[in-house]
Amino acid sequence: MSPEGVALGYEPPAGRGEGRVWIPLGGSHRAASLGAHQRKALVGAVLELRPDPGTRLVLLGVDVDGLGPTVRAALRSRIGFLPADGGLISNLNAWENMVLPVAFHHPERMRAVAAQVNGLLSDLGADRHALLAKLPEKMTLFEKKLTGYVRIVLERPDLLLVEDPLGALDAAERAVVARFPAIYLKSCPGGTFVQLEVAPER
Amino acid sequence: MIGVYREFEGCMRLSGHVLRRLAVLARPPVAESLTRQIYFTGASATAGIVLRGAFIGTLIIAYVIDVLDANAALAVKILLWVVLREVGPLIAAVLVIQRSGTAVATELALMQISGEVASLRQMRIDPRDYLVVPRVVGIALSTAALTFYVQVIAVGGGMLLSALTIDASLGELAGEFFNLASPVDFVYAVIKSFLFGAAIAVICCYHGLHPPGTSINAVPKAAINAVTQSTLMVMLLNVVFAYLVFGQAFFGLVTAKL
Repeated sequence: MSPEGVALGYEPPAGRGEGRVWIPLGGSHRAASLGAHQRKALVGAVLELRPDPGTRLVLLGVDVDGLGPTVRAALRSRIGFLPADGGLISNLNAWENMVLPVAFHHPERMRAVAAQVNGLLSDLGADRHALLAKLPEKMTLFEKKLTGYVRIVLERPDLLLVEDPLGALDAAERAVVARFPAIYLKSCPGGTFVQLEVAPER
Repeated sequence: MIGVYREFEGCMRLSGHVLRRLAVLARPPVAESLTRQIYFTGASATAGIVLRGAFIGTLIIAYVIDVLDANAALAVKILLWVVLREVGPLIAAVLVIQRSGTAVATELALMQISGEVASLRQMRIDPRDYLVVPRVVGIALSTAALTFYVQVIAVGGGMLLSALTIDASLGELAGEFFNLASPVDFVYAVIKSFLFGAAIAVICCYHGLHPPGTSINAVPKAAINAVTQSTLMVMLLNVVFAYLVFGQAFFGLVTAKL
């Protein structure tokens, strides 16, 4: 199959008994039938840009196999990943966690970041005064997800993978997280939002 | 033996990375981390480290003067050779290992085990750039600064004590000291303590980033390895420095044939 028009394509070898993931470019999508092992393998392959032997990986319209290191690095910089626990750094407060990648990779964009963070937090209905100075140890899982989400959106990735976004949240928090795709697509028009959900164990 | 070689090789590679990537200190989060490290090691610890260092330095002078029944010239030589050149940098290094070395190894091991190092990689941030470079530079600079404080206070305290216990005035002792001391002594001590600090930081960061396991039990083990090896490295560097610069080591027990 041609990789053209595909945001995320993951084809494990036939004998492994794992499903194929084939997500088109643009919009919000769910990959809901992944087992925990396959999800881990998929995320590892996407983040390292190195799929297991025999597995085909397509990212943002490009077959990853055979790419040189420079092209790989450029492709990787267009992909964002939000782990289920937010993936925060414990000795940085919420604000420092949010701006860490932008400050590290694009310090020239730091002037505009405060306004962007305020905008994103108000879109999400979060109390920025209560959140921004908090360390991860004082945050709820929802606040960690929120902080990690703002951090990823500030990076403006073309492909955003969000791991188990609704897991262990109450109804009100789920309602906020349900707005993640719309807010991402508003910030990154043309981007692809993928929710990686785990299939219940049988 | 292979394990020791691997750890040595790992530390050398990490040192090479730090030297190659010093420019990363210009990036705001790394610069902030450097400032925090200098504050933690060099500023917030100053009072305790300097007081303990000065106490130990002064104690050495008091014992030596008492045991050797020293005169002004001998007391000054002891201050210069023992306290300024050797004990000052060593005390500062040992106190930095105790306070900052253990903190760095423990913090990084916890970050590795809890997945925070992996999170940095997911953000395309090399953990060595963000975690190791500022810690090595910060601890090296702070150790040099702390050594200077310890030397000033230990030598000052030693002179004061000598003036009280032997038949010589403070001015006489200070005059004798500045006649005997040369800029080489200060440059030697500062460079040596800078290298002590860098070695301590590299070893502690290496063990923090490579804990011997993935459970929480690996954290104290990483700290123990870091403290043991950085103490040994400081002792080794001290001997090498003394031999290279002054042609003698172990306080003159080993002398170079020049």
